[in-house]
Amino acid sequence: MTVLLKKPMHRRALLRGLLQGAAVTLPLPFLDCVLDERGEALAATGQELPIRFGTWYWGMGHTPGHAIREKRQTAPGIEFLEETQALAPYASQMNFFGGFGMPLDGRSNYTHHTGWVGSRTGFVPQSAADIPATTLDLIIADQIGTTTRFRSIDASSAGIPRENYSARSAESRGLAEISPVALYTRLFGPQFVDPNSSDFKPNPDIMMEKSVLSAFIDSSAAYAKTLGAADRQRMDEYFTSIRQLENQMARSLEKPAPCEACKLPERPAEPPAERLANVREIPNVIETHKVMAKLLAMAVACDQTRVFNMVFTDNFANVRRQGEANTHHLLTHMELIDPNLGYQPTAFWFNQRCSEALATYLETLSGIREGNGTLLDHSLIFASSETNYAKLHTIDGIPIYLIGKAGGRMKTGMHVVGGGDPISRVGLTAMRIMGVELRNWGAKSLQTSKPITDVMA
Amino acid sequence: MRRPLRFVVPALIAGAWLLAGCAEREPPVKPAPPSMRRLSNEQYRNTIADIFGPQIIIAGQADPLIRTDGLLAVGAATASITPSGLEKFYGLAKSIALQVVSAENRGGEFACRPENPTGPDDVCARQFFSRVGRLLYRRPLRPSELDLAVRSANQAATVRRDFYLGAAASLTNLLTTPQFLFIVEETEPDPEHPGRQRLTGDAKAAKLSYLLWNTTPNEALLDAAERGELNTASGLRRAVDRMMESPRLETGVRAFLDDFLRFDQFETLEKDSVIYPAFTVKVIEDAREEVLRTAVDLLLVRNGDYRDLFTNRRTFVTGSLARIYHIPVPRPSGGAWNAYEYPASDPHAGLIMQIGFAALASHPGRSSPTLRGRAIREELLCQKVPDPPGNVDFSKFEAADTLGKTARTRLTAHRTDPACAGCHKIMDPIGLGLENLDGVGQFRTTEFGERIDPSGDLDGHHFADAASLGQAIHDDPAATSCLVERLASYALGRRPADKPYLQYLDREFAADGYRVPGLMRRIALGPAFFAVGSTADPPRPVQTASLSAPHAESLETTP
Amino acid sequence: MVVAAACLLLGGCGRVAPTAAPQTRTLGFVVRDWFTSVYDSKFADECPEGLTPSNDEIWWRSLPKPERARLTNNGLVQNLTRMPESMRRGPGGENVCLHPTVVHDPPMKTVEGKYGYGANLDGTLDGHATPKSCPHAKFTLPDGTPGIDNQMYRLLGCVYGWRKGGLPENNAHEGRGTSGLGMILIEVTGVTDPRNSKDVTVTFYRSVDQFALDGTGRPLPFSSYNVDIFPDGRQRYGDSLKGSIVNGVLTTVRGDVRLPFYGNYEFMHAPIRDMGLRLEIAPDGATAKGQITGYYNLAEFLYYEGGMVGHTSTADDCPALYVAGHELADGYPDPATGACTHLSTSFDVGAYAAFIVHPRDAGAGTRVAQARP
Repeated sequence: MTVLLKKPMHRRALLRGLLQGAAVTLPLPFLDCVLDERGEALAATGQELPIRFGTWYWGMGHTPGHAIREKRQTAPGIEFLEETQALAPYASQMNFFGGFGMPLDGRSNYTHHTGWVGSRTGFVPQSAADIPATTLDLIIADQIGTTTRFRSIDASSAGIPRENYSARSAESRGLAEISPVALYTRLFGPQFVDPNSSDFKPNPDIMMEKSVLSAFIDSSAAYAKTLGAADRQRMDEYFTSIRQLENQMARSLEKPAPCEACKLPERPAEPPAERLANVREIPNVIETHKVMAKLLAMAVACDQTRVFNMVFTDNFANVRRQGEANTHHLLTHMELIDPNLGYQPTAFWFNQRCSEALATYLETLSGIREGNGTLLDHSLIFASSETNYAKLHTIDGIPIYLIGKAGGRMKTGMHVVGGGDPISRVGLTAMRIMGVELRNWGAKSLQTSKPITDVMA
Repeated sequence: MRRPLRFVVPALIAGAWLLAGCAEREPPVKPAPPSMRRLSNEQYRNTIADIFGPQIIIAGQADPLIRTDGLLAVGAATASITPSGLEKFYGLAKSIALQVVSAENRGGEFACRPENPTGPDDVCARQFFSRVGRLLYRRPLRPSELDLAVRSANQAATVRRDFYLGAAASLTNLLTTPQFLFIVEETEPDPEHPGRQRLTGDAKAAKLSYLLWNTTPNEALLDAAERGELNTASGLRRAVDRMMESPRLETGVRAFLDDFLRFDQFETLEKDSVIYPAFTVKVIEDAREEVLRTAVDLLLVRNGDYRDLFTNRRTFVTGSLARIYHIPVPRPSGGAWNAYEYPASDPHAGLIMQIGFAALASHPGRSSPTLRGRAIREELLCQKVPDPPGNVDFSKFEAADTLGKTARTRLTAHRTDPACAGCHKIMDPIGLGLENLDGVGQFRTTEFGERIDPSGDLDGHHFADAASLGQAIHDDPAATSCLVERLASYALGRRPADKPYLQYLDREFAADGYRVPGLMRRIALGPAFFAVGSTADPPRPVQTASLSAPHAESLETTP
Repeated sequence: MVVAAACLLLGGCGRVAPTAAPQTRTLGFVVRDWFTSVYDSKFADECPEGLTPSNDEIWWRSLPKPERARLTNNGLVQNLTRMPESMRRGPGGENVCLHPTVVHDPPMKTVEGKYGYGANLDGTLDGHATPKSCPHAKFTLPDGTPGIDNQMYRLLGCVYGWRKGGLPENNAHEGRGTSGLGMILIEVTGVTDPRNSKDVTVTFYRSVDQFALDGTGRPLPFSSYNVDIFPDGRQRYGDSLKGSIVNGVLTTVRGDVRLPFYGNYEFMHAPIRDMGLRLEIAPDGATAKGQITGYYNLAEFLYYEGGMVGHTSTADDCPALYVAGHELADGYPDPATGACTHLSTSFDVGAYAAFIVHPRDAGAGTRVAQARP
């Protein structure tokens, strides 16, 4: 049995008690005793694997009454109905959160926007383009993502790079990778250092590059002092970004700890021109998602990143079936409800595909064995949408799944009923499980300090 | 090929002289602090091509800008760079630097030769970085910046045992510094207004060059700027006229139009291949180009009236476009462009009937009166349409007989339901005027067997069909004041809130026959263009350790 | 609605003179599908003696057993591989497709069924001799219409490869689609109403431009095609017929027309006598389908058939075909010999709306006349 060796703990972070999520990028001497993320000594028997955090996004939510059977109060057991049947095999590995509210404090519900912003940042946006605060994945990444080559990775099978639900603000929102080949190149291309290769030698060219880069960063810092206040804030972001680049170089100069689960995947084939012209036709979206899921999972298994974000369909669900005039989104507004079925048949069909895709994602993660369990066991996946019932743009009861065992820190199998509590409780819970010790999170009516202890181990 | 603009500028100058006697003066604007605008992908490409040559291959692009106040160019002033964005910039920089020093290219870039090419050469490096650095930073390098560049090149050359690879390593970093990636407005004391600051000559050069040519200022312009020529009215006029006479003005005008008409949407445009088999990837490229060619032909080559954009029947099409427009072209293959003028009996006229407008403002599988109406309001008339409310109850619109007929019938509820009508009456009646064009811009007279009625009303101006809707836009004062507002915002890098300034430009635009080059010139020569206020507070030391973005402990963001 | 470039009247454009009265317009089509009209039944009932033996079979049967074994390695050599051998079975080693009279093969099996597609070309109901036709049997349309002349079908209907789905037609179809060779343009001028026009002129050209195809390989309607001209500006084709459109169906009178043809790597100038076109135009004007009927020149056809390379897949036999073709020919007797020189024929045609561009339309301005419904 081989496990992922623990990375050296960063003393500065340790000394600060892991509060504030400050990002530290300077490597530190190896500590005599190897500690896990919380500063607790490891069990004598062995070392722990790092806990990873992932998000998964799908557009258009659920069809009420046909997705997850509602419950009166929190209890074990999730009942999957027709729309989400594909997820039933994972019932014991997840928690479902329903019935949480999104109080807007007088703000408008910016359709297909407020829902995801509120649930992922704890803040209500002031306009349809506003992202008022950092999404939870980046808060987590600032804490756990500093020792890997990438602090986080964003991928999307929805074919729209801009639609990425990981951001620090509207202006600071990276592009999601929409091409499997480009994603592969970024993760496993020339910059990849195989953790299992026996003949690691720090590349002198990279050492030189890093040294030069560091000198330029210092010079830029001096330059930034000469700028106005507003511009200096944008420079902060620039420095965050360029320090991460420096960090990536530093990582590749260290001999990586071997990861048994890490196997260099095959480079995906270039998609045929036909598919590139129709990225948002649903069969292509499903195929792209499948390929990307494998790449992301392996990137995580190879410890290239510990935070990974996947978008299956975007918040306006611009996906469609060939030959049909309406996208998934338009269907949710225009399709008639079938009186016998009680729902919109084609919109429902799309929702089912979303459930299936999430199941595929989970299958991929649990297909990688690590230590005593699987990659999914050592991860926490936050799967969410921007609405509950898309037809009416409802943002009460937006469905969220927390999936995985988070290395034993999360109890699973629960259906948690929110009773109208702010949905930010779910995000706070996820962050606490990941070791981000925020006292409270969110603003105004979405501000909360109460994680959902029913699911915390 | 396009005719040169040589006739335009003298006409402008003559016109300007004629009006000099009774010319209005430009009202003052409240100046903004000096800005820092991130290069757009297009500007990045043009800049590299102009400094290092068009043979340099730039594969990939970084984070897009955010559209603010209707323009990406305004979003540039608040754009920053994400980690993945910077990673991409660094990758691009590395690739560019290696190409610059490659055996094929280095002869053109290095005026000197290293004494020993397998190691550092201080003198030659200094020469190279002094010249190239000035072009990259749009001002001479400061001694510390030059020293750093040379020192790094030397260090790298030693490790790599290659002068040129050393130079490439340093150049890679220069291309990743904020001084390059952002167009930073630097200021100096203004001798004519003691106590106040003005933009440096180099900063003015950059602002002019990115406005008129959408690229970095070249050596000639930087030389003129550093000689102080841009600080005098006559020197500035000379520089502006020279740049406007150049064919490169077309690049600048295209960049503005591309932003103004929101053509970034083309990058993610898709149409259903079963419903619209003729709408191929080639059509997407060609449709964008058609609008730009048509507009350039009207606004630049013919120096025409901007309003005619909405009624103009002269266009340029490829075979791919022609088969959607149902018109014949003598050169249907190979992507060749054919000049075409719609005869009087053809219903096509104006921008809003071009594929580049009608197909962009549609869904993948059908047209959309709402999207088109909104596009006309927001893009062409600068009128904001409120966002849809979250609590719309669509269950009212379920009657089966609303399906299968024309859009006008299907959207009845939009117009009659009080919750919807408020906003939809701003958009739908206009968009319905375009319903003769399907989701990709093909002309049709019926939909599902029912005859389409394209008549309507634009703020009191009745129209019978799309062509006359174009006429209604032509006649609407909001169209020209919108263009003025956008062009001024594009030039200044922010939306000027000063009504008197915009109204002044409106009046001059009208007096000038609504000619766009004249408007650009007027803006570039006016005091508002270079006006700069002070920075908000004195500089404070920057924390060099990286910080995560402010998060969430009880932070209240104020709008 | 279908519109096309009107031919500008500068110096004329071949034989077409669309001296349009006010308000007339032009329709254009490019032909994509061209298939000989054959009537196949599932069990080949129309061939009571079975399908006709192929060249390979005849050759094979003619060999003594030891020769068979030697030349075909005991039957292991594929038909295709032994085709050169099997073709050069003339007494002097001649290729029997190029020299079909040097051997006498058993007679072809030809169609003996009742039904066939086509038109009544000779005006009789029983196929008796007329000044321009030889005695022959007639077919009935599947809908019961009697008096149909289609000797081409009678000749080919029991040849394996000429039945539906066979190689020569499909290979030719593919080749035309990808190469852009042999594309027929049909121009209809003098149209007052695209669904009903009493007096129109239909002219046939060849296209220089290739098909523009959609993602599934079908041509995109409303593309533009330049007509083929000689260097001195004359049309290479350009034969016309008068016609009319009734309820969207275009029909022409009969006349002699030369059409461009390309198929199976061969070019022909297929002259068809008494040719008539019937084309049903779809209501949206984007597509049309119909038939071309007339008398096909026998010698041209035999030349084409003989020159094909796919004899193995076609399973024809040139010497027998030669004899049968001459026996079945029913059109235009040779004045000297009295033997008929043409075969009555029918082709199923599929076309797409097109703009037909004449050379004088190209050039400065391209101000081309066009109106819309």
